[in-house]
Amino acid sequence: MGVPFKQIVVYIDGSEGSLSAVMYAVLLAKQNDAKLTAVYVINTRALSELVRAGVFVDVERDEYQNDLQSDADRYLRHAQKLAQQKQVNIETVKLEGTVHVMMTSLLKEINADLLVLGGVADIRSRREELASETDRMMRTSPCPVLVVRDDEEIWEAFESQGA
Amino acid sequence: MNIVDVIDKDLIKVPLTSTDKMGIITELVDFLSEAKHYSEQQRSTVLSAVLKREGLGSTGIGKGICIPHAKTASIKEIRLVIGISRTPVDFASPDGEKSRIFFLVLAPETEASAHVELLASIARTCSSSLFRRLLEQAQDKEEVYRLFLD
Repeated sequence: MGVPFKQIVVYIDGSEGSLSAVMYAVLLAKQNDAKLTAVYVINTRALSELVRAGVFVDVERDEYQNDLQSDADRYLRHAQKLAQQKQVNIETVKLEGTVHVMMTSLLKEINADLLVLGGVADIRSRREELASETDRMMRTSPCPVLVVRDDEEIWEAFESQGA
Repeated sequence: MNIVDVIDKDLIKVPLTSTDKMGIITELVDFLSEAKHYSEQQRSTVLSAVLKREGLGSTGIGKGICIPHAKTASIKEIRLVIGISRTPVDFASPDGEKSRIFFLVLAPETEASAHVELLASIARTCSSSLFRRLLEQAQDKEEVYRLFLD
């Protein structure tokens, strides 16, 4: 684990918060001359839960799995584009499984020294807090976690800083 | 994404008045269309998408819960409509139990991840028998809303 950060990982799930987190991570990687990895985890656990609960029929699960693959590719391409804009090298990783479990494993594997997260919402329901993947990631991460909050300011900072 | 991220008090209907499966689906879609000012064409596209999914197999998941859902290019953001019926309705659920709790979930075609997470969140939340009982007994939309935010 290093300070200043040399291996930064940002988690992207397509939410606005996670897109802001990518911008922030790109700026941070540039300032620290750090390696940056953007990760999307296809939530196959949720798909399995839906089949088990009877919400999805088999054909539907396959269709959504393909949709999730397309989502992952699209958002990772977006992360690449943002990094290119600031001339930051970025590695993109697509995983499948239970989100927080896969992330913990990856963070250990590449010896990350910072995880950047967005989309950690205010606590509105105790029940949902326990089920939120970003909350779980925050709690189970083996490295320090930076939670990105103010979307608009980050977008402005990203736009205003040169490549 | 989970239920509390999308729940909208204006999209909760207590009680639903229809007494059969087709009626309930139509009532939920109409309720959404009216609340969000959908055009007739949008309403019709949404209804067709939900019925097409229903054609693959009932979205009644048992224990009195139904989650009709679809993805459609005709909407821009994820919508969740919650309806509670006083009268149990036959939705051809696998356990044969009639249903009183209905969640209509609609998502744009490009938001698969959020759609899947929301559906999983509903299934998880409704796995509690106590929660289902409280929902069935809810008197109005305020009470339903509070239950989810508890």
